[in-house]
Amino acid sequence: MTTSALPARHTSSNQRWKTLRKQLPNYLFVLPHFFFFAVFLLYPIVRGVQISLYDWKIMLKDQNFIGVANYQALLRDRMFWEVLGNTAEFMIITVIINVILALFVATGLKHKFFGSDFLRVLFYAPGILSVSVIGIIGIRVWDTQIGIINYFATTMLGLPRVSWLGNPDIVIPALALTTVWWTFGFPMLVFIAGLHNIPEQLYEAAKIDGAGHFGTFRHITLPLIMPTMLFVVVTQFIAHMQVFAQPYIITGGGPGNASRSATMYLYETAWKFFRFGYASAIAVALAAIMIVVTIILFSIMRRRTEY
Amino acid sequence: MTTLTRVSSPSARRRISKEFWRSLGMWLIFLPLALVVVIPVLYMFSMAFTLEANQLKFPIEWIPNPVTFSNFTKIFVDPQLPIVRWFTNSLIIATVGTGIIVFLSSLSGYAFARLEFPGKNLLFSLLLFSLMIPAAVTLIPAFLLLRDLKLLNTYHAIWWPAAASVTGIFLMRQHFYSIPVELEDAARVDGANRFRIYWQICLPLVRGAMVALFIFAFLGLWNDLFWPLIVLSERAALTLPVGLLVIQQGSYIQRGLAFAGAFIASVPVLVFYAFFQRKIIAGITTAGLAGR
Repeated sequence: MTTSALPARHTSSNQRWKTLRKQLPNYLFVLPHFFFFAVFLLYPIVRGVQISLYDWKIMLKDQNFIGVANYQALLRDRMFWEVLGNTAEFMIITVIINVILALFVATGLKHKFFGSDFLRVLFYAPGILSVSVIGIIGIRVWDTQIGIINYFATTMLGLPRVSWLGNPDIVIPALALTTVWWTFGFPMLVFIAGLHNIPEQLYEAAKIDGAGHFGTFRHITLPLIMPTMLFVVVTQFIAHMQVFAQPYIITGGGPGNASRSATMYLYETAWKFFRFGYASAIAVALAAIMIVVTIILFSIMRRRTEY
Repeated sequence: MTTLTRVSSPSARRRISKEFWRSLGMWLIFLPLALVVVIPVLYMFSMAFTLEANQLKFPIEWIPNPVTFSNFTKIFVDPQLPIVRWFTNSLIIATVGTGIIVFLSSLSGYAFARLEFPGKNLLFSLLLFSLMIPAAVTLIPAFLLLRDLKLLNTYHAIWWPAAASVTGIFLMRQHFYSIPVELEDAARVDGANRFRIYWQICLPLVRGAMVALFIFAFLGLWNDLFWPLIVLSERAALTLPVGLLVIQQGSYIQRGLAFAGAFIASVPVLVFYAFFQRKIIAGITTAGLAGR
């Protein structure tokens, strides 16, 4: 037994070496991407956490290590909590309206009718515009004196002018609606694809059982669309928690700080005030919050999917 | 009467009329939304051709009177607003950057779908994990790295961080999976090595996915504002989206110029979209489903 085992092990390790040598060139396929992935994604993640432990100023030669002081300052930073609140409010409004609107439109466009393909293309169209363009349009859509919304409100509905962007209570919903206008086409298309994956027989069976429109939606569409919903909600959450350009261009964060977002605060801390250490702490905190919420979202929606 | 029924049977007629009413009902529901989507874009086009003096008119002048090109000529003659340069920058950055992304994603995607090597699963989990990390954390270190490499204000500052993106790999991997293994085995028997199999057999079969990836990467790079805003600061190095912010700053509070700039940035993508709408929409659908 023992004598025969030795040469066997020898050949097997030989075999392993042979396969490895055969597999070695395969690394050439993944290496080019992995190089940039490591340099511009993996390394910055580690480095970002490290910088957040320094009082990092861009002009200095030797940076000053201060431990978790940046994080302690962050906890006491009223501005940080304010921009975090603004961002959360913006994200929640945008995601909820986006998901409801997208699912509603997708339900309507799922079956072909005259012009349904055209509407599909049209509704996604704003999504291909640059956020810079959205900003330029958005400024004039919400303008108090000459804006499009106030134009329709005053001339067609006879309502008084509203200072949409000047009111700290309305400015975030206004930015959220602008973002919905820009982005709802993407979840709409994903939902249409998801709805097509629900077997038509289920709807026919429900019809025979005498279920109404609402009943079929509640008991067939909604539970079966949950995996798609999970994907949409998570991607939307990640995208809109990082909102930057809409407030940056349209309101400049105002009035006061009412519409300043977390990413905007991060950007200004780093590239206006050059406090890279503190800005890194903001980034790490934001990332930590987002990862935790993503995991929570996953576990909640997973549970609801396995009904 | 009898001739009529012979031409179209009652059931067919009922079906057609049912279709008609359904379409009409849908349009009644969706027309307001369609108008909300369209009006701001038309407004932008209109304002691009409206005289500065008429920009602030209220009620809104929907059709410019007179139609003017002065906003465009003002941008083109202003040496402080090198919009042709910005346009060229955007075009080069988006085209080359897209090429890099598509090539690297197809290489990696092929390896993860078809090839075996130690650490493959670990590497793939690493890519998946990176999707969870918001861009915010990488901004500052990536910026500092590019600064130390003296690459700020160059095209490289956009291309190489873009080369690190992982979403294309998932898309390509998904499509390489769908190629029958027998095809590759046949090529291997014929003596083709793995690079030839990838390049000559498999790559042509996933052309559709590559086109979809090309379109999305291109749109993403063409439209991006945040990263170019961070790594490009010299006037001549800017891309169009960043340039649009410059047009709106300081002495350029002229609204007409901003709309003319927005027009120049939007028309190419809208034409692009009109051409590729079928591909774009199919691409989102598959990418969305792959994402599940």
